[in-house]
This record gives sequence, C-alpha cells and structure tokens, in this order.
Amino acid sequence: MAENDLEILNDRDLGVGEDVIGDRPRRYQRRRPRQVVPDYLDWKDVDLLRQFVPERGKIMPRRISGISAKDQRRLAKAIKRARSMAMLPFVAD
Amino acid sequence: MANRTYEVMYIVNPDTEGEKIQKLNEAVGKLITKEGGEVVRMDDIGIRHLAYPIQKKQEGHYVLFEVEGSGQEIAELERRMRVNDMILRYITVRVDEDRKKADKIRAKREARSEKRARFRQTAEPAEAPAEA
Repeated sequence: MAENDLEILNDRDLGVGEDVIGDRPRRYQRRRPRQVVPDYLDWKDVDLLRQFVPERGKIMPRRISGISAKDQRRLAKAIKRARSMAMLPFVAD
Repeated sequence: MANRTYEVMYIVNPDTEGEKIQKLNEAVGKLITKEGGEVVRMDDIGIRHLAYPIQKKQEGHYVLFEVEGSGQEIAELERRMRVNDMILRYITVRVDEDRKKADKIRAKREARSEKRARFRQTAEPAEAPAEA
C-alpha cells in the first residue's frame, strides 16, 4: 500500500516556478515531499516535528518541504502546541 | 451529551518532591471523575529538559492525562491548574475530532489502494502468459 503511494509521488510532475522576492526573481523547484505527514499528527511527537523545524527553530516553509497546504496547517498547529509546552524552542541559536 | 476526548498535559516544578507530585496527580484524577469525566490514560512522563527556561527552570516534570467527558471537568481543572503554583504550564487539546478525521482518511486510502490492487490483478495475467 505504501509502495503504491510512493509510485504516485514519483510519477508526479515536479513544477518549476519563480518567486519574486525583492527585485530579483528567485527560481525554485518544487520538491517531492521528503516525508509523508501522518493522518493523525501528534503534537507530542517531538522527533517527527523536529524534521520540519531546522536548527534556527523556524517552521520549514512548504516551498522546501513540499508537503500539502492542508498538512502544513496541521503541522504548524502541532509545532506551536509543542512550543508552548517547551518541547520545541521558539528560537534557538 | 456528546462525549469528547481531551489530552491534558502539565509541567510541574521539578523541585517538588515526588510524593507531592503523586498526590497532585491523584487529586487531578479524582477531580476529573468527580466532575463526571473519565480518565482514559494517565502517563507520568517525568523529568524532561525544557526547550527554553520557564520561571528560571531548565527542566520540568511532565504529566499527561487523557480524559473523556463533556468538557465541564476540563473547565474546572484548568481553573485549578491556573492557581496552583506547582504547575508551571498546562495545555488541553481536544483530540477526538482529529482522530476521527484521521480514521476517515485512512479508510479512504485503504479503499483506494484495494481498488487499485484489484485492477492490477485483472490487468497482469493478460501479459504473463506471453512471457511464459
């Protein structure tokens, strides 16, 4: 079952686009999700959430992780809950 | 009455004696049952490093409850936790709706992959004899 899902992801056409940030357009390539977000996203699962929180402590943008908008919203909520319980940092340096 | 499931987590000051923490946990459990809720799970996670200091503490004693009830007991519990100075932080999360949604998604996906598997089974035998 999981294999089937992966096949579909591989077949998907990866979009290429441009973001205009400042005066220079920034090229980016949409990436395949490196990680599938589980159906039930547990806000207590710090190890899973960590994968979407780079060293600085910021939530990884969808542009980089490639997950769906829906998943990103769920993920952001879970990360914020974990932060308020001091399981993840607000800022780390 | 709609039955709801909540996760209640709180961080206790790590300097309090273990006995007191145990008493606190018992009191929480009792309060929940008294207010008409039901403790599904109680997990004393123990001392954990905090990602940032809270009240100058670097560590905290984490306790997790899973509660089933109407929501009334949660209101009372939060009121008590707010004034208890042993409790550094608490959070309540309603989980039943998200779990139900997750089950639905899983069921849908399983149904879809089953359909796909059935389609493959019918499609492949046509090619297999040619190889043999």
